[in-house]
Amino acid sequence: MRWFLSAFVFCAFVFLVLPVVFIVWVSFFDSVFLTFPPPSYTFKWFVAAAESPVFFNAFTVSLYVAAMSSMLSVCFGAVASIALVRYRFPGRELLNGLLLSPLVIPNIVLGIALYIFFIAIADRFSFDATASNVGIVIAHTMMVLPWSIRLIGANLLGQDVSIEEAASNLGAGKWTVFRRVTFPLMRGGVVAAGLFSFIISFENLELSLLIVSPGRTTLPIALMQYLEFDMDPTIAAVSTIQVVIIAAVLVVTDRFFKLSRIV
Amino acid sequence: MVGSGIQGLIGINFLMSNTRRNTLTAATMVLPATVVIVVALVLPTLILLRYSFNQFDPTELMISAFTWENYAEFFSVPYYQSVMMTTLTVALLTTISGVIIAYPVALFLARTTSRFKSLFVILVLFPLLVGNVVRAAGWMTLFGAKGFLNVTMMYLGLIDEPIEMMYTDFSVYVGMLNVMLPFIILTLQGVLESIDYSLTEAAENLGASPFTAFWRVIFPLSMPGIATASILVFILTMNSYSTPVLLGGPRFAMMGPTLYNEITENYNWPFGAALAFILTAVTIIATAISSLYFRRRLKSFTV
Repeated sequence: MRWFLSAFVFCAFVFLVLPVVFIVWVSFFDSVFLTFPPPSYTFKWFVAAAESPVFFNAFTVSLYVAAMSSMLSVCFGAVASIALVRYRFPGRELLNGLLLSPLVIPNIVLGIALYIFFIAIADRFSFDATASNVGIVIAHTMMVLPWSIRLIGANLLGQDVSIEEAASNLGAGKWTVFRRVTFPLMRGGVVAAGLFSFIISFENLELSLLIVSPGRTTLPIALMQYLEFDMDPTIAAVSTIQVVIIAAVLVVTDRFFKLSRIV
Repeated sequence: MVGSGIQGLIGINFLMSNTRRNTLTAATMVLPATVVIVVALVLPTLILLRYSFNQFDPTELMISAFTWENYAEFFSVPYYQSVMMTTLTVALLTTISGVIIAYPVALFLARTTSRFKSLFVILVLFPLLVGNVVRAAGWMTLFGAKGFLNVTMMYLGLIDEPIEMMYTDFSVYVGMLNVMLPFIILTLQGVLESIDYSLTEAAENLGASPFTAFWRVIFPLSMPGIATASILVFILTMNSYSTPVLLGGPRFAMMGPTLYNEITENYNWPFGAALAFILTAVTIIATAISSLYFRRRLKSFTV
């Protein structure tokens, strides 16, 4: 029975990582068409990926959007979490629900709603949010905000309020208490929230699909558009690059905040 | 006595003015986040809701109106109902098979004392964060006509011709299960970790077999976790987009891709908007029914 369970758990782990392992493996195959077993191995698809303007552009857009939206969501999320965790005020529960609501509404519905919303704004105020990265950064900030609030909030809840009270009893002003006590204690949660938001934004497809204009697509969208036609070794190389970036960010995040506490 | 009473009064007074000031501070602090949510979520959703009552016109595209005809169209055209049925079936099967597969893994993660535990958790979380598109590409290298599975089976002489695996129900279910398993495993792990396992020892000391101890003690205690995980994954599957598109192809119609096409290809915003709200409503109703069911199951276990 024990033996059977261990084998089952092992198989489940293999199943989980199987597609990721294969896409990484295939990206080193030295053949234009998928062939098992590969004739030999090469790095040339990574060179091709880096030299492809479509993928390179998409990569920079994704990096920019992920960096901006995670930064904004951490700033807004941090101050909001402090208020939600440390203060008691009317409508707190309701507000908490509202701020976490992006987790509940399907991304594809949100994407469509934003697409229509941006068109309505462009019609009325002649401001096209999709002509630059403004629209997608706002959208991604909204999407990752609940993660910042949850992570930073969980970190704050685990802290002893009496340390802050001791500081203010000893004469520290509100700002000093925040700068010298609260913030240093929050740092782990803030860093984890930033990195996690970065990943969520970087890999998102559904929300971004409609609110990017041609030439400003993100990496997952560029991949998707290619994949709908054919499986190409350059795609495997681009995917591998995405896998490596996310793995690196994940390992760094885990140093600051045990990931088993996030989900 | 009197002194402390007065002090108490002053204290309350002090607290009250403090509360008001606190409310003001708190309000300023939550303001930026609230503005983002209102601008990027509440307003767009309300506009979408309003559009779902407009009329579609082939030349003018959208005419301002207040009509239920978009909602009525969904119920009068059998095609959309069959799409909804497919979506519900995929969601239900993915949820049930997902919980069965995830449970032992979650139990392992919750109970393991290995120093690699953090690594195991990362291993579960990692495929989730790599994104659906990359994983779909991975499945293509396995399922394609020249993919790993077909080549291996032909090499072993199990088959003569490649089997069609891409763009079938099979590829969609496998891909969907792969996407959803991490969510179920991590949710169940959280609940299984909070259970007091000395209870099983007590049960075993009283003569229960290890299996009975698990089935009568641990399993009922983990019921809330199963409920949360199932509901989460059911919602996520109902609303999925990339997995059915990339692994099911155009023939495999689920609600997410259908309403997306309605907006982008047919330019029928009112009907697309109505489909979005019907999908959301069906998801909420199905979720409510299943949470009722779980509550009853929970009662039957505890009685």
